[in-house]
Amino acid sequence: MRTLILNGFHRGDSRWQQASATLSEELKNRGWPCEEIRLCEMDIANCAGCFRCWTKTPGVCIVDDAGREVASRFAGSDLVVFFSPVTFGGYSSEIKKALDRLIPLISPFFKKIQGEVHHRRRYDRYPALIAIGMTEGDGEEKKRIFRKLLQRNVIHLHNPKSADGFIAEGEDPILVREKVRGWLQEVAR
Amino acid sequence: MMIPYRALLLVGSPKGPQSTSEALGTYLAERLRDRGLQFQKIRIHSALRTEKGIQSLFETVDRADILILAFPLYVDCLPAAVIRALELMARRRKSLPGRAGAGMIALVNCGFPEARHNETALEICRSFASEAKLVWLGGLSLGGGGAISGKPLNRIGAMGRNVRSALDLTAIALAEGKAVPPEAIEQMSRSLVPGWLYTLIGSIGWIHKAWRSGVLTKLNDRPYRP
Repeated sequence: MRTLILNGFHRGDSRWQQASATLSEELKNRGWPCEEIRLCEMDIANCAGCFRCWTKTPGVCIVDDAGREVASRFAGSDLVVFFSPVTFGGYSSEIKKALDRLIPLISPFFKKIQGEVHHRRRYDRYPALIAIGMTEGDGEEKKRIFRKLLQRNVIHLHNPKSADGFIAEGEDPILVREKVRGWLQEVAR
Repeated sequence: MMIPYRALLLVGSPKGPQSTSEALGTYLAERLRDRGLQFQKIRIHSALRTEKGIQSLFETVDRADILILAFPLYVDCLPAAVIRALELMARRRKSLPGRAGAGMIALVNCGFPEARHNETALEICRSFASEAKLVWLGGLSLGGGGAISGKPLNRIGAMGRNVRSALDLTAIALAEGKAVPPEAIEQMSRSLVPGWLYTLIGSIGWIHKAWRSGVLTKLNDRPYRP
């Protein structure tokens, strides 16, 4: 499984390092090639909401920056991991700036899914998705919102499999490794 | 909540004055002004471009009695720039002695016919309000925002009746220091046009725009994967 890790921690925040190393090791143990992108180091413009990625250059954002690169790698992956500090129950703005630029990967046309209107798929295959949230003693409410957000994204982006979970700041590395194995197992089934 | 005096409209759409978010927010802010409140407007995407803009955003938020956050739904959530603004505001307000009683409401609109797509985004706004020491006064959720397409609400005729009524009710409640009333939430969530008509018009619109751009036959292209 070709894996893309989107690291959504802000510049100057190093809390991701240990868990990220564990994740990379576990992916390597499984023989899954992996690439990690630190989004805060990428030049990614905010989505302008112009929809020209559907009507002018179908499938590609009109803005030629690293946002295109992320979309291309997302489309070419079998598994994508969002690794983000839990931010008001959602993802950080770093993850979101990349996520907003993924709409060229879906079709402008509509389809009913689970009784709601969504956009149709553009591609036959989409990667599995894991969302890992780093918490700082956040309550269950924020975790519930985070899980719900991932489930909404999975419908929107047509991801065939997904898993979510949380790592607390300073959590025992042995426990973190166990969790990572569990999440990978979940999407490998 | 205390009786408010100053309202601040934060517009979270990159389209700014041409956006449905700004149309909704401006209508509400004008109704509040009719009831004696002062109001200011800040476009988040513009404010974030400079340090001066960010500082001005902070100071204006600190002075406001009510924050009205109006934004479009982007991939099930708030647009990235809006989240960035909230991250910065929450970090700053955590370290400040908050002015008691300042409140916040959110107006979110999505491009799908069903308003329920906006639920998660409103939950995130509520969570932000708690972190930023603001009183959560509720959220209004609109589906089919594309039908308004940035037009002032007074110019969309009967289609906008429920939207205007929801915002009128909200203005009355906010001006009295109360939360968004349930009738307003219900009215705002009603469909502007039938879902089938909305998606039909939307699809024709995509085809028409692609035809004008000379890419009609490429609409379903797969540039990143065969």
